Amino acid sequence: MTESVSSPGIDPPSPTLSARLRELADYLAAPTAGRLTEEQRALSLGIARRLVVDLAARLDPEIDPAALWAEWLRGGLPCASRLAGICFARAEEHRWREQSAQRTSPPPLLSEPDASSIETPTIGETPSEVERAYLTLQIADRRRFDSLGNPSLAAPDIDEEVFRALLLDIAAWRLAEVSQDRARASKLGDAVRVATEQQTREMGITRAGVAFYNALGATLPDAAAGAIGRHDWPTLIALAAACHRRDYDDMALALLTAETAALPSLLAPLRLDHAALAPLEASLAMLPARAVGGADYGDARLAERGQ
Amino acid sequence: MNERVIRGRIDRAGALVSADAPLLRLQQRAGAGLDKPLALPHLARLVTLAQRLHRDISRPLYAADDHSDIHALVRITPDADGASLEITDWRTRPLAQPQIPAIGEGTAMPRSWTWECDQQLRIVALRAAPDAPPIPTGWEARSLSELFELQPDDDGRFPVLRALARQSRFDGQRVQASDIAMTLSGEALFDATGRFTGFRGLAVAVDAPTSSDTKPGGALVDPVFGSLPLSDPQFGRRIDGALRGPLSRIIATAETISGQFDGPIRADYARYAGDIAHAGRHLLGLVDDLADLQNIERPGFKAAADEIDLGDLARRAVGLLGMKAEEKGIRIDAPRTDDKAPATGEFRRVLQVLLNLLGNAIRYSPDDSQIWIRVDREGDRAMVTVADQGQGIDAEQQAVVFEKFERLGRTDSGGSGLGLYIARRLARAMDGDLTVDSAPGQGARFTLSLPARDVA
Repeated sequence: MTESVSSPGIDPPSPTLSARLRELADYLAAPTAGRLTEEQRALSLGIARRLVVDLAARLDPEIDPAALWAEWLRGGLPCASRLAGICFARAEEHRWREQSAQRTSPPPLLSEPDASSIETPTIGETPSEVERAYLTLQIADRRRFDSLGNPSLAAPDIDEEVFRALLLDIAAWRLAEVSQDRARASKLGDAVRVATEQQTREMGITRAGVAFYNALGATLPDAAAGAIGRHDWPTLIALAAACHRRDYDDMALALLTAETAALPSLLAPLRLDHAALAPLEASLAMLPARAVGGADYGDARLAERGQ
Repeated sequence: MNERVIRGRIDRAGALVSADAPLLRLQQRAGAGLDKPLALPHLARLVTLAQRLHRDISRPLYAADDHSDIHALVRITPDADGASLEITDWRTRPLAQPQIPAIGEGTAMPRSWTWECDQQLRIVALRAAPDAPPIPTGWEARSLSELFELQPDDDGRFPVLRALARQSRFDGQRVQASDIAMTLSGEALFDATGRFTGFRGLAVAVDAPTSSDTKPGGALVDPVFGSLPLSDPQFGRRIDGALRGPLSRIIATAETISGQFDGPIRADYARYAGDIAHAGRHLLGLVDDLADLQNIERPGFKAAADEIDLGDLARRAVGLLGMKAEEKGIRIDAPRTDDKAPATGEFRRVLQVLLNLLGNAIRYSPDDSQIWIRVDREGDRAMVTVADQGQGIDAEQQAVVFEKFERLGRTDSGGSGLGLYIARRLARAMDGDLTVDSAPGQGARFTLSLPARDVA
């Protein structure tokens, strides 16, 4: 795409102009396609930043993450194309969950003297295999937030190649920053290897989802329907991903970009009856700026008509 | 006020089987319809509540519509086949900014951890802010009360357990986590069906112990305990930490059982659990006494010299223990409000002494008896006397009643045997004294005297 906007003899004077021309070229190539909203950009960029900072800390605690990120922001992320997919998937999932939580959070029940008799949580019982697997899934999911509740990507959830490539990019930056000395290079190389090995040992949400799926057995349809009823989208995505043997992020993106009509077939392995899908369809339909072909096209046509 | 009544009917399975148009439209916009489970979480919770309580309830109702919030009043009448709904005062309001999840920029606090647990209080998330103490390893799926040793508040209660019962937010829960004193707060979480799903909140490290507590002290050998270095602050802290945590956990668990938070249990079992909690609180009181002992026996211990009125403090003590006396039918004849005895002493410590004297008097007085509290002044001493109609103590016993762990042969669970020893030490640290005057069968009179203060 870049070549098409670089006319011979004209050298773009700034990265800003270059970026805008690229954006315009992309727009002209598909004028009716929906664009990223500011929220989607900000969420994706924040997720990328948290991932880079997290991996830099794993690689070498002496790396100044602010300096690394500032330099990458100026010059462009070397791993941009690799990060785009996973960051966008996580950002879209987060938007969906936020919308769902905001629309459905009931206000706290007014004080009720007899309230101790309602909703009876059990404490101290030995959890069943399904309960343990669900708990592990919840923990894997909550690892995908930072301490302030912002969405992030957990190392074990990232594709191994992307993870390694990103580590190597950070190591290269560190090496260029300090020196090219061979001992340091070898130390960083070791750190990349250790981090990669550690990543394969950790349990991410995809694996936690598979474990939950296996534990459920014949009760899978009930569990999936329950997840939809509770608007427990991470559980639904994890179960669907396990059924399709796909990564969690892939499945999240597939669901979030699916046409409503495509949802039953996409979730067919969960053996849900059609009525159970209604809250899912309603929730997805309410999410603005979804990257669905038909919806975007419709929006664009409405915009053209000035409606 | 919209006086129109909107009616609906829920069947036994929780499905909306009939509804007037506004309610039905709301249900449809929430992704459900007739003969489908109620898709309005708040209303569904209220229906469940009414059915659990087997009685009518009227409550404010909140529901989210597409572009507005619905506020109304709902009356729910449960019956054998479900429940009837009557909704009045139906108002639509512009969409309010929904509650931001508890973990957000706005709630970030220094030296804090963010945490989340499920409805069974198992930790599912724990993260440290950049300047916070490191989080312990192996926190995943551990019980909240295991990771954070719950400490009772001043009333001996646990805010998190109360919040669990009420499914509401809480704060001010004192905890000990890996030797760090922290305060826990949390918001109750609910899923789309209105089911309680846990808590999410902050654990904020409280300030480090005061310098007087952290001063290294030599192992002072106690004359009574011999080589047991009770006066050694290090030992004191260790025993405090070692006992307080497990005891707090015992009390918390026993209160959970006694409060039947896990559902109804046999009444006698609930009572046993209450007994365990009571005994645990007693042991915790002993730990407090030991901590006090360690404190007052520290070289250089000095009480503050506040301007106090013994009459006022006596009335406060009666206010605090009056209920306990009533349980035994004991009448307390307290100083009248115009009975004053200005004195000099540390407010908190004098109250502690009076509570000890009055507590003993109540504990050892027969049912339906009387206790007198009098204030007086003799020369430069202001005095307060607590007299009871108990069995009294003879001269021999009076000689040892202020010794450590002296319970005059009593073996009940009433006290630690340290109270009077501590009380006298405190009185003397304030340039006063604590004396007893008694005879067998004639009750006991304990008199606290302090330097009198002249009031212009």
